[in-house]
Amino acid sequence: MSLNKYLPPLSILFFFVLIWHVSAKTYDMQFLLPSPLSVFETFLNDFNIIINGGLITFREAFFGYLIAIIIGLITATIMSLSKIIEKSLYPYAILLQTVPIVAVAPLIVLWFGFEEKSVIIISIIISLFPIINNTLFGLKSTPETLLELFKMHKSNKFNCFFKLQFPYAIPNIITGLKISAGLSVIGAIVGEFIIGSGSTGGGLGVQIIYAQANLETSLVIALIFAATSLGFLFFSIISLIGYFLLHHWHESEKGIL
Amino acid sequence: MIEICNVNKNFGEIQALNDINLKIATGEFVSIVGPSGCGKSTLLRVIAGLISTNGLIKKPKNGAFVFQDSALLPWRTVQQNVELLMELEKITDIKEKSKNSLKSVGLTGFEKKYPHQLSGGMKMRLSLARSLVLEPEYLLLDEPLSAIDEFTRESLQDEIYNLWIKHKFTGILVTHNISEAVYLSNRVILMSKRPGKIFDIVKIPFKYRNDELRENSKFLKIVNEISRKLRSCH
Repeated sequence: MSLNKYLPPLSILFFFVLIWHVSAKTYDMQFLLPSPLSVFETFLNDFNIIINGGLITFREAFFGYLIAIIIGLITATIMSLSKIIEKSLYPYAILLQTVPIVAVAPLIVLWFGFEEKSVIIISIIISLFPIINNTLFGLKSTPETLLELFKMHKSNKFNCFFKLQFPYAIPNIITGLKISAGLSVIGAIVGEFIIGSGSTGGGLGVQIIYAQANLETSLVIALIFAATSLGFLFFSIISLIGYFLLHHWHESEKGIL
Repeated sequence: MIEICNVNKNFGEIQALNDINLKIATGEFVSIVGPSGCGKSTLLRVIAGLISTNGLIKKPKNGAFVFQDSALLPWRTVQQNVELLMELEKITDIKEKSKNSLKSVGLTGFEKKYPHQLSGGMKMRLSLARSLVLEPEYLLLDEPLSAIDEFTRESLQDEIYNLWIKHKFTGILVTHNISEAVYLSNRVILMSKRPGKIFDIVKIPFKYRNDELRENSKFLKIVNEISRKLRSCH
């Protein structure tokens, strides 16, 4: 079973690396396209830079993601409880999604300083909308008959929310969290790009800027892989949580793992 | 006793219920039949208190509602689903009561299963158990068997009948299956469409329920008579 499952993606990876390797050898321009092997070498040689940068970016993205989850769940809950609040807030929630974050990031750095705080705020802003939107959608899609059942038996709002609406929304909440997992890392990298020059020994985004300026292309690529794995890590953690919460009963998680 | 006096209900321009008056004796089982859109489900929800009305509804304190789609919580096991309404109503001895209740509908051994692992008939039996464990004085059933296959439906009708005999609740069933209504009821209420109103009530004289009754000529005659009346009303 596991062979059938892992063989197709692994063979894609193999061919990707092969084509990359052959192209790098053919063009032979190390500073434009380093070979996979030299990227791997850089990864080992500059492991300190990558792991230190990775830890900083991880911390920023993690707090950005966590705070976005808390704000997102609370905002969506309040919006689901009151039509008037939903109508007043939702247009501005959409603005969160449509505002070009790269354009706003310099302003945020100006306001909050060239430090981690600003990076976390940028990460929050970019992660927030999918969480609000999907949670709200889930909370509002409780079937009418189930709401009637709770009403019939004099359920208070507290029980109705925690025993019915919230569990019903979990599949949608997980979807929102999965989308935001990668976004939180993107937000952190964008933030680091902006504060890059203002700090030393910064996160992956800062290191990418430095490495690019020094034409250390293989280090740039190694750092990109590190940043990608961070987003993947968040995504995997949420997927695992989703699996444990949903595999008993929800179609989306049956037969995964 | 359940008393429904001068109940009207409008949804915008549409008059869903027009001057409904009905008395249902304690322990009686009545069915409401009528064409789609005659307001029979609305009437049931008005009686339940789920839809507001300007008329008067007198009813006992404790009731339960059985929905067409079973209305189970998919993330709860069979056991936890039976416990749900007791949790909401803050009833004690939940474990003991749910055990007896599951036994009475033949679901012992399925406690740890989830609803998606049950057949349609088992889901409905679970839904009945969940309501009856509250010992309700009246039970409202909204087309509970309409999504159940023909073979299972007859055995579930017997099951509902036996539960009614055992628990002695006042029952009101909404259905579009006339023989089901005749089989289960003391009286069948006939409703017509636009505006939804009661135009006839048929008394059912039978004292027993079994497979023989389903083929009894007098039984079939009553079923046909009700069909004819419903056809002629619109």
